[in-house]
Amino acid sequence: MTALIEARELSKKYGAHLALDRANFSVQTGRIVGLIGPNGAGKTTALRAILGLTAYEGQLQVLGREPLRDRTELMRDASFIADVAVLPAWLRVDHAVDFVAGVHPRFRRDRAVQLLAKTQITGKRRMRELSKGMKTQVHLALTMAIDAKLLVLDEPTLGLDILARSAFYDALVNDYMDETRTILITTHQVEEVENLLTDVLFIDKGRIVLDSSLDDIATRYAAVAVAADRADAARAEKPFFERRMLGKVVLYFEHPDLEKLAGFGEVHTPSVADLFVAKLSGGAE
Amino acid sequence: MNTYNWLIRREFWENRAIWMMPAVIGAVMILVALFGQVNQVSIPLQLPSQTIGGGFLLAVGGTFFAVMSIYSTWYLLDCLYADRKDRSVLFWKSMPISDTVTVMSKLANALIVIPLVYFAAADLTALVMAFILSVRASSTIGGAMWHADLWLQMQVLWLYVIAASAIWYLPLAAYLLVVSAWAKRAVMLWSILPPIALILVERWFFGTHVIANQLGERLLGIAGLIFRDPEGSAWATTVVDNDTIRTPVSIWGFLNPGGFLSSPETWIGVAAGVALIAAAIQLRRRRSEM
Repeated sequence: MTALIEARELSKKYGAHLALDRANFSVQTGRIVGLIGPNGAGKTTALRAILGLTAYEGQLQVLGREPLRDRTELMRDASFIADVAVLPAWLRVDHAVDFVAGVHPRFRRDRAVQLLAKTQITGKRRMRELSKGMKTQVHLALTMAIDAKLLVLDEPTLGLDILARSAFYDALVNDYMDETRTILITTHQVEEVENLLTDVLFIDKGRIVLDSSLDDIATRYAAVAVAADRADAARAEKPFFERRMLGKVVLYFEHPDLEKLAGFGEVHTPSVADLFVAKLSGGAE
Repeated sequence: MNTYNWLIRREFWENRAIWMMPAVIGAVMILVALFGQVNQVSIPLQLPSQTIGGGFLLAVGGTFFAVMSIYSTWYLLDCLYADRKDRSVLFWKSMPISDTVTVMSKLANALIVIPLVYFAAADLTALVMAFILSVRASSTIGGAMWHADLWLQMQVLWLYVIAASAIWYLPLAAYLLVVSAWAKRAVMLWSILPPIALILVERWFFGTHVIANQLGERLLGIAGLIFRDPEGSAWATTVVDNDTIRTPVSIWGFLNPGGFLSSPETWIGVAAGVALIAAAIQLRRRRSEM
């Protein structure tokens, strides 16, 4: 089966700066993939390339198409929120729904109306009158009402309060997601999406440093908290990263020998957030 | 076609001035007709009634057309730039609408839709004013308002000038779209600087002013191409206070669509316009942000 997104040697230069440096990755149908990286790592550039918003070097296929050349066709099957608060200030909420219903063959108007009805937002209001969080809710309602095969979300919940954020992710997983859909999501709040992701892509300095399913992470990585006096013995097992924590040392291992590690302390699978820190601080070679 | 419909509607939502400006102009003119001193207008009443009525329609229409030209110019400069400035381009590009269709919708709006809105507003204003004037200025110009053939000529003249302008000004309109799709700021300045720079460079290095002449011809030369002087019976002469005044009998002899459409300048302009439109589409495709 071919991948939904397939990037080979994907590069993008801004002047002398390499925003993407021969990045290789693929995304399979039915997955919820988190694209995770520090600021300036190339997350946004990668998404822009995938969505046909920017020129790039290397090979990139999204839903079997070349994004920049075939953006119009691609947008029938893919929807995105590339940034928060990009709905124009003059646009009225009801006009926004009318417009998308008018031009998008896969837009389900009833669904957008239903999603908007759950908010405090009335149709006659213009975007400039709405708070940042409300604008995001409108944009999410419009986007989630599109029956897309690929949904790309760049920091979708920025500006939303905790309740709205959790409601959004609930809706995303329970109402929107099914096996025919694929979601690619970037966020700073790794902890918040950790439970819904099926795959992660770690990106740093324009390169993919980890491309893995969460299931594989559980078998491939382990962390063990070791008392400080036994740390040296554990270090002989070649951890790729360590950090101090409450008088203990937490050591991170790739392809661990679990039986040996169990002798040093309690072995656990690192969280995505911890693995991210470990990979980018210690093991990015 | 449906998509174009929605894109034009979107322009009306964004640019409420498209209909508000002609509405305000019309309202002001109607107010003047209602409350102005319309009986003291200094029009030599010896002139044929046809001439007075025609002059009235031309004055109303000309005012609307002049404002429309300025507004359309500004609109073309702003339309692609505004989407990038407020970053809403990221929303518009999430719709399955090609950059070609987007750019063409802006062009069609500026060259056809906005002129037609002003045309309708001019007609409506002239109609209301004619009613008011035929009551309030019945002793002077009020009687010259209702020549049905003049009203018909006015409709034809508007449509003729809109169509000819759309063709003649295509390269200038497309140039403004290129600037709008390209500039990171100060679109007005960027639209003016390149032609001025070219004119100066040409003058310094070659001592000639071909570009300046060409540009002037493109800006103002349309009148000489789409109209002609038929001489003879197309003109009426009236003597007013010892001056002989020549006035056109009707517009029919003056329209010159054949001459306009067979002029090489017209088609050179169209070719340049098509190339510039293609450039604007490419820029729109590649420049999503500032």
